[in-house]
Amino acid sequence: MKHLLFIAVLGVATFSASAVDYLRDIKPVLKARCYACHGALKQKAGLRVDSAANLRKGAKGEDVLAIGKPAESELLARLTSKDAGERMPPEGAPLKPAEIAAIREWIADGAPVPANESAEADPRAHWAFQIPQLVPLPGSSGNPIDVLLEDYRSTRGFKAQPLAERTIRLRRLYLDLIGLPPTRAQLADTRPWEVIVDELLKRPQHGERWARHWMDIWRYTDWYGLGAQLRNSQKHIWHWRDWIVESLNADKGYDRMIQEMLAADELAPTDLKALRATGFLARNYYLFNRTTWLDATIEHTGKAFVGLTLNCAKCHDHKYDPITHEDYYRFRAIFEPHQVRLDPMPGVTDFEKGGLPRVFDNHLDITTRLHLRGDPKTPDTNRVMRAGVPAVLAGFAPKIQPVKLPAYAFAPAGRDYVQRDRLATAKSAVATAKQELAKAKQLAAKAPPEKPKQPTEPKPKPTVPKFSVHDDFSKRNDKLWEVVGTGWKFEKGAALQTTATRETERLALRQKLPRDFELTCRYTHTGGSLYRSVTFRFDVSADRKYANYVYTSAHAPGPKLHVAYTRGGTSTYPADGLVSQPIEIGKPYTLRLAVRDRLVNVWLNGKFQIAYTLPDRRPDGRLELSGFDATVAFDNIQIKSLPADVKLAEAKNAVPEMKPASSVEIIEAKLAAAKAKVASLETMFAAENARGDTIAFQKATQAAARAEALALKAAGEYELKAFVKDGKKVNAARAKIANGDKKLTAADQGKGNFTPLRAAKKALETPAHNEGQYPTVYPDTSTGRRTALAQWITSPKNPLTARVAVNHVWLRHFGEPLVESVDDFGLRSKPPAQQLLLDHLAADFMANGWSFRRLHRLMVTSQTYQRRTTTAGADAKTLAADPNNHSYWRMNTRRMEAQVVRDSLLHLAGVLDPQLGGPSLNPGDGVRRRSLYFKHSRDQQDKLLKMFNDADHLQCYRRTESIVPQQALALANSKLAIEMAGLIAGKIEADDFVGATYKLLLGRQPDADERRECEAALAELEQVATTAKKANPAQRARRGLVHALLNHNDFVSVR
Amino acid sequence: MMDLNRRLFLGRAGLGFGSLALGSMLRGGESGVNGLAHFAPKAKSVIWLFMRGGVSHMESFDPKPMLNQLAGKSIGETRFKYVQDRDRLKKVRVVVVNDANGQQRNKLYPLQVGYKKYGQSGIEVSDWFPHIGGCIDDIAVIRSMWTTDDNHGAQVQFHSGRHMLDPRVPTIGAWVNWGLGTLNDNLPQFIGMGPRYFDRSDGHYLGPAYDEVKLKIDPRNPLDYAKPEGDLTGEEQRLGFGLVNRLNRLSQGRYPNDAKLEARIKSYELAYRMQTSVPGVVNFDAESEATKKLYGFGQNQTRSFGQQLLAARRFVERGVRFIQIMHGAGAAGAWDQHSNLKAKHSELAMQVDRPVAGLLKDLKTRGLLDETLVVFATEFGRTPGSQGANGRDHHPYGFSVWMAGGGIRGGVTHGTTDEIGFHTEEHPHYVTDVHATLLHQLGLEPERMEVPAHKRLEMDFGHVIKDILA
Repeated sequence: MKHLLFIAVLGVATFSASAVDYLRDIKPVLKARCYACHGALKQKAGLRVDSAANLRKGAKGEDVLAIGKPAESELLARLTSKDAGERMPPEGAPLKPAEIAAIREWIADGAPVPANESAEADPRAHWAFQIPQLVPLPGSSGNPIDVLLEDYRSTRGFKAQPLAERTIRLRRLYLDLIGLPPTRAQLADTRPWEVIVDELLKRPQHGERWARHWMDIWRYTDWYGLGAQLRNSQKHIWHWRDWIVESLNADKGYDRMIQEMLAADELAPTDLKALRATGFLARNYYLFNRTTWLDATIEHTGKAFVGLTLNCAKCHDHKYDPITHEDYYRFRAIFEPHQVRLDPMPGVTDFEKGGLPRVFDNHLDITTRLHLRGDPKTPDTNRVMRAGVPAVLAGFAPKIQPVKLPAYAFAPAGRDYVQRDRLATAKSAVATAKQELAKAKQLAAKAPPEKPKQPTEPKPKPTVPKFSVHDDFSKRNDKLWEVVGTGWKFEKGAALQTTATRETERLALRQKLPRDFELTCRYTHTGGSLYRSVTFRFDVSADRKYANYVYTSAHAPGPKLHVAYTRGGTSTYPADGLVSQPIEIGKPYTLRLAVRDRLVNVWLNGKFQIAYTLPDRRPDGRLELSGFDATVAFDNIQIKSLPADVKLAEAKNAVPEMKPASSVEIIEAKLAAAKAKVASLETMFAAENARGDTIAFQKATQAAARAEALALKAAGEYELKAFVKDGKKVNAARAKIANGDKKLTAADQGKGNFTPLRAAKKALETPAHNEGQYPTVYPDTSTGRRTALAQWITSPKNPLTARVAVNHVWLRHFGEPLVESVDDFGLRSKPPAQQLLLDHLAADFMANGWSFRRLHRLMVTSQTYQRRTTTAGADAKTLAADPNNHSYWRMNTRRMEAQVVRDSLLHLAGVLDPQLGGPSLNPGDGVRRRSLYFKHSRDQQDKLLKMFNDADHLQCYRRTESIVPQQALALANSKLAIEMAGLIAGKIEADDFVGATYKLLLGRQPDADERRECEAALAELEQVATTAKKANPAQRARRGLVHALLNHNDFVSVR
Repeated sequence: MMDLNRRLFLGRAGLGFGSLALGSMLRGGESGVNGLAHFAPKAKSVIWLFMRGGVSHMESFDPKPMLNQLAGKSIGETRFKYVQDRDRLKKVRVVVVNDANGQQRNKLYPLQVGYKKYGQSGIEVSDWFPHIGGCIDDIAVIRSMWTTDDNHGAQVQFHSGRHMLDPRVPTIGAWVNWGLGTLNDNLPQFIGMGPRYFDRSDGHYLGPAYDEVKLKIDPRNPLDYAKPEGDLTGEEQRLGFGLVNRLNRLSQGRYPNDAKLEARIKSYELAYRMQTSVPGVVNFDAESEATKKLYGFGQNQTRSFGQQLLAARRFVERGVRFIQIMHGAGAAGAWDQHSNLKAKHSELAMQVDRPVAGLLKDLKTRGLLDETLVVFATEFGRTPGSQGANGRDHHPYGFSVWMAGGGIRGGVTHGTTDEIGFHTEEHPHYVTDVHATLLHQLGLEPERMEVPAHKRLEMDFGHVIKDILA
């Protein structure tokens, strides 16, 4: 290849002196430059040039060749035309002179047709584009998988391995069907295989196990963003995960699952459960670029359901498959109108806390343009792309029909539960205010009226430095510090925070600080992510909702030193408390902090940084050191009283005013506002529900407008009292009151309007938008395009859908797919060795309601599934002729997926929490739920799972299976593995501990050598523990043995 | 996995630590010899420095004063019009048609930096790389590289020899790892540092055991799970690892020729030793201040890369075969100045110049340069014409890399590009020629680096660049 390139560079003509050879010199040129338009799939102007015979046939009866007379041949005229409109090929460079010369010579020679030349095969004849058929089985009994594979093997003289021993098979079955290994009792289950299979298929854990597989293929990801700003996927996307689990557990047909994922909003617009399915589309949401978003939707709808690489046609026609550039944009047009929103869920009124991500057609009339060369900057404005599926397979596509939606779907504010929940929230605010009022009145009766504190300048008290604490962290000092969290290590003369958490881990000083103190600490930011801050909190209240603090942050865009505070659990980061500082990871810093009453001074590496006056102090609180998103090494710390004579720099910041303490008057205003809010909601809902009756609606509107105005005023009155010292808030409250007055006047004149309830939250289409600019009521019609697409994908005439799904399921039971390229069944995918088997299973799948349960049962009850994995004792001929096991003469060994590794540890230890579903969980050691519930996104992935090739959230049609030392370290050293080993060891009560442990963890009994090794190790471990004076050495030794077997190759292997 | 199987049948895998009894290793027994060289090697280890993005060859190691003369002119109106002849441009395979980048840039852009002659050889190096210039007499500059990807898939291509549109194949680091036994049973023999995108795996059909082991420069936490997170004594851990190893080996009778089992056994043996050996290597306490200074620890811009290079030297001392260090974060790589070339290229050069020169000097002082081959490479060059006001585009037709140490002749330049730095002229070299040269110095014949069922092409093997061998 390289050689050829050199020749090309030098421009040397390569034609031999001998006569032109059509096959060698001409056909490849025509193939490269002309077949796309004049071949099997397309015959522009009725011309095919994919064989000499076809060339001689000409175009629609008109010759393109004048045999023997090149000068008169239309073909040459067109190839050499100077007119760009005439010249062929129309795109790219003209043919090279040498190529044209060859064609000329060939025509002059009489355009000889080579013997046996075949024209280009019709891509429509591709094996995977034919509807799969049931195979008439040779011999009527037996599992079709066994029958077809045995047929394949017997014609080749291959011999299969016998079945594996039953306990090994049971372990395999449990891991495959429910993702958890069998217990000792389950390993002893003697019931017939089929009975156990059926039982496992009906367990809720089966849905969890297989949901994770489909989450790989359907690219499940939790959201990521910046702070609260959503950038990718959706908040609460876990509803889709739960839908997958529930659908599998209900054995919902795969056809229906696809339909719901693509178009539940059209097919079941009032079914909140079904709407969860559209998370499949919502997951592709991307704030910054609609084309990126839709490209992902197109690519993965194609790959996941029909195994077509539509993405290859984004910039030009597909290089291999009969998918055109136009097909790509017609496919895009299917999705063009849709957007994503969070719908209200019963019982939740805050979209940060809950909501249902779902799609809906938002822009019904939006046009789709073909992007020339795939560039969104160059749309082809001459034509509009109409929604459609790839033309080559469009024969059975249903007609697109718009769908009328019920008000429930397009006007969510009218839903009964929405109104109920909003009212309940408003009423509970009334109840709370009433309670507060009663309490305040009680207090007021007991105590004299509070006097607002006068902000007084601190009078330095003559104090002697009586408080002094020093710690060089040479060892853990539990007397001095309360060590909170598990990430702390005390070694190498430092206190190391080794896990990056958010405040959950800290060193809290047990002693009470004096009000005025100074602190000097040397420390290093050693790593972490995002904020990477080291925080010194003081005055921390017992409920941790009050604190003052100073932190240094190595946050990449803006490293800084900052004085900040938390009040009522809410942190304030005052701009005038911030100093930009190039804080670096790995560099030691010495921070000095001096606090005198509300005045704070901070120095870094001896250099003064800032003086800041805090709004107030509660010096009774504690001092805490911690990392925030950071790992830290604290080298030493000194804390002592701040002598009165130490001069501090005065702060320039204005003293932030805090609200005065609660008083009866304020709470009365609060109660009035809460009541007005209830009244406003009630009248507003009355108006909403009166839509449709013009007169009643008009009347209700005025009432609602009036109530809204009153509520606005009441809120303003309350805020005015509550925030009396905060100028900004006072102004805002006054504006509210003024606005309320204006609205009240309008309502009194019959010109009022109420603000309709924003009951759903649409994801921003671009960062330039804000939510307020979107209507609260959505279109009452949907285009029906996605429904048509889903019907096309799930049509029994679609040759791809069932094959692709069966192949995925097969891969996950047998370790190898039947079709190697699991996401590409296009022309590059050669007919698989076991095509008959694939086709039979696919046809059977469709004929039986697309039932996964039936498909699983068929596979795992086959003898093929139950064979040994070993090559020991294999038939020599078979081993030599089929080393890659294409004929499934043995079972393939697989490695547990990451989730199965972790879940198995927890399950065997008896601590796995079986709770199904719910919001995604932060990854971490302490979690006891199944791994599929972990947050899984660009920014969040569990570390242990990552070691074992967790799913790539961008694309994971097949997990990789690596074997690297890091996995060994994870199982040998992780807290989880060590802890679970102890728990498992404690659960095994058997006279034969070694035998029972082997069987439980590896699914088989040890042989004599293995037993000897284990017994010896137990003795040695016990000896070591005894010598080291560890508690309960025998039990400790058992933990050691369990831990070793958890690290055995055959624990993580599915044998 | 079958490939691994075959390899085991061929008996080659055993030449690493795989065949050694864990017991002897746990006792720290002598082990590990270089077993596989096809002939006497000149080099034992490779430090592979890869600048992600494309370093402008014209502003680093291949001076083109002609660009200053023709500045502002369109290529088409100069006597160099021929460089854009269609045939001359067609070797490049375009991944993204009409991408905003990877285009012809016609308006010639003058050099953004001056050049000086360095060393006895008097080879010119740009003023952005003065420290590397100071080492030029140990360096062979290859000024006639070419590749076929006009976009950042070229990064994959430089490591594997294959274009982004081809199937993924093993990288040069994986081949070295595969081809040679280790010199140190306590460390991975293929270590990676720095940012990596696109293809994050090396082994491909050779298997995951040939992937780089990724490390961080943090002695407290160089790799995850480096020590037990629970109440487990060192002695208990040692016994546990020993038992696991013996039991796994016993089950080899039950599952003969099981490549995955063999790989897992190896991974445990290595894991056990890595726990203690790796943190020590990335702890620089024992290094003198002078050494640290040499690597640029004193400056913020150079510290991070310098630390990686010092770690690389320490790994080389301990017998690690291949240390792959990527420089320049971001998906496209930092060295990708479609605009603002002068400001950004000079800043990036500053980050690497002193540490790289420090590495060469340090290796030389310690007598390690003779057996350590240092490669300084990048994805492609940059266009002689300007992109926008002040940038240069991707340029696969001609660019420069250099090699030093490990039996490479110093103070030479090899190959040329034309006067405007567009096409290779004398001695053109495809990227795998660098691989071939490197393998040759390690004592391996490229053509013998092949496993059954994975036929490699001539272009995959490359050709040894004999002119630069000492």
